[in-house]
Amino acid sequence: MKKILIVDDEEVIRMLYGEELEEEGYEVATAGSGHGLMEMIEREKPDLVILDIKMAEHDGLDLLQEIRKSFYNIPVILCSAYSSFKGDLKSIAADYYVVKSADLSELKQKIKMALEGQIPSQPALK
Amino acid sequence: MLIEENPDGIHAADLVVGIPSYNEADLISYPTQQASEGLVRYFGGKNSVIINCDNHSTDGTREAFMNTPTEVSKIYLSTPPGVRGKGNNFKNLFKKSCDLGAQAIVVVDADLKSITPRWIKNLGEPLFEDFGFVAPLYVRHKYDGTITNNIAYPMTRCLYGRRVRQPIGGDFGFSGELAEVYLRQTDWTEAIAEFGIDIWMTTTAMCYGTPICQSYMGRPKVHKPKDPGESLGPMFLQVVGTIFDMMIKHANFWQGVRWSKPTAIFGFGLGEMEMPPPVDVNIQRLYDKFQAGFADYGSLWKEILSTSLFKKFSEVRALPLSGFEFPANLWAEMLIDFGVAYKNRVNQKGKLLESLIPLYFGRTCSFVIESEPMTIQQAEELIEEQCEVFETAKSYLLNNWSE
Repeated sequence: MKKILIVDDEEVIRMLYGEELEEEGYEVATAGSGHGLMEMIEREKPDLVILDIKMAEHDGLDLLQEIRKSFYNIPVILCSAYSSFKGDLKSIAADYYVVKSADLSELKQKIKMALEGQIPSQPALK
Repeated sequence: MLIEENPDGIHAADLVVGIPSYNEADLISYPTQQASEGLVRYFGGKNSVIINCDNHSTDGTREAFMNTPTEVSKIYLSTPPGVRGKGNNFKNLFKKSCDLGAQAIVVVDADLKSITPRWIKNLGEPLFEDFGFVAPLYVRHKYDGTITNNIAYPMTRCLYGRRVRQPIGGDFGFSGELAEVYLRQTDWTEAIAEFGIDIWMTTTAMCYGTPICQSYMGRPKVHKPKDPGESLGPMFLQVVGTIFDMMIKHANFWQGVRWSKPTAIFGFGLGEMEMPPPVDVNIQRLYDKFQAGFADYGSLWKEILSTSLFKKFSEVRALPLSGFEFPANLWAEMLIDFGVAYKNRVNQKGKLLESLIPLYFGRTCSFVIESEPMTIQQAEELIEEQCEVFETAKSYLLNNWSE
């Protein structure tokens, strides 16, 4: 079973997304802020992270950079109520960017794509 | 026969900055100065050299380069008189860099007006860490780089699964190890010897397991932009022909790629990005050239495109400029049909590529109309959406490739 970590400072979002994704067959872990996030990723070993951008105590785009430094291969989906952060070049380090909506079909589709994504093992330089 | 001028007798270097050129006497001094400053400021502890790899320019490029005051030593390399091609310049650079034992090579265009010393740092530094290929990341005007936006970026992303926003940006960094790989490749074509070189280098890096990153330049690329309807010439044929050639060469690799992955990013913290200068595009001319293509290539297009695709395409043809729209999914599937035809119709490759030009004008015209009210950032989102359309169309490619 694939494990998804939801990082969002709104409890209702964590609950809504968590329930929906569990119904889809995923195991879900949640975090309400970026405090200790790297340790949590190390401990929980999620297959994918859903990351809010505008959180009370943390900027999701900065957290994304931290995740990329330490856990480069974990897919990250930025999930924000604001589409304007798409214009921030930092957001291209994410696998996908989804604008929050009551309809989670786009998010579910992007989760599927991120988890299915594969690039064959490549030959070493020769 | 390679022509070389090496007044300081440089025989070894850790880091090379290469500046390919042809008749750039008016502009080459500026990137040369900036490169020298960057090497001194950020790579002071390394042996560095700046190499102008030229096509035997007749306008005084060599003199302009060699007479530019720099703290760093310079070498002038040239192809023999009459031998042109950016790729040929790069080949000379690969050889020279390997002879010098360079660990890292940075290349920047000779017509760059916006380069800063920081560009050298950001393209070079990752090569001394974990990366073997560094592509630039800069803001370009929404109408600049239309081959990149409508073909090179979506196609490489869809095929090879790596998101490299500027695969033919012209400004790159690569390791000495990768330079040796480039030299060993046996698929050198006339197109690669010219403007096909950039996409060939990027694709080769992607297909040989090279760790790739993109690096923020912090300033927009300002060079000599061209109206895509006014001057396109052989560049289109060389770039797109090389994309299709690489598609054939690396078919086993891309058939195993599913969706795409982001690439590591280097150089955060450069502050606000400057906006690039505007680029004028004449949409009437693009539209007219698109329509004119039917007289020359209509029957060929009908042979190449699937029946349903040609039907949809005929609907697009009937649209007036005021309501013109050439949808991204139609464009993606048409490019796929052309790629398949390029593989199968060995004797018609040249004509196939030529016939793609009016279609590219049509798609560019549609993109310009759609993005006209958009900011540069919104146009970027449109390009990203187009890439997802291409990735979704990959199943169409997989179904048609081996038939």
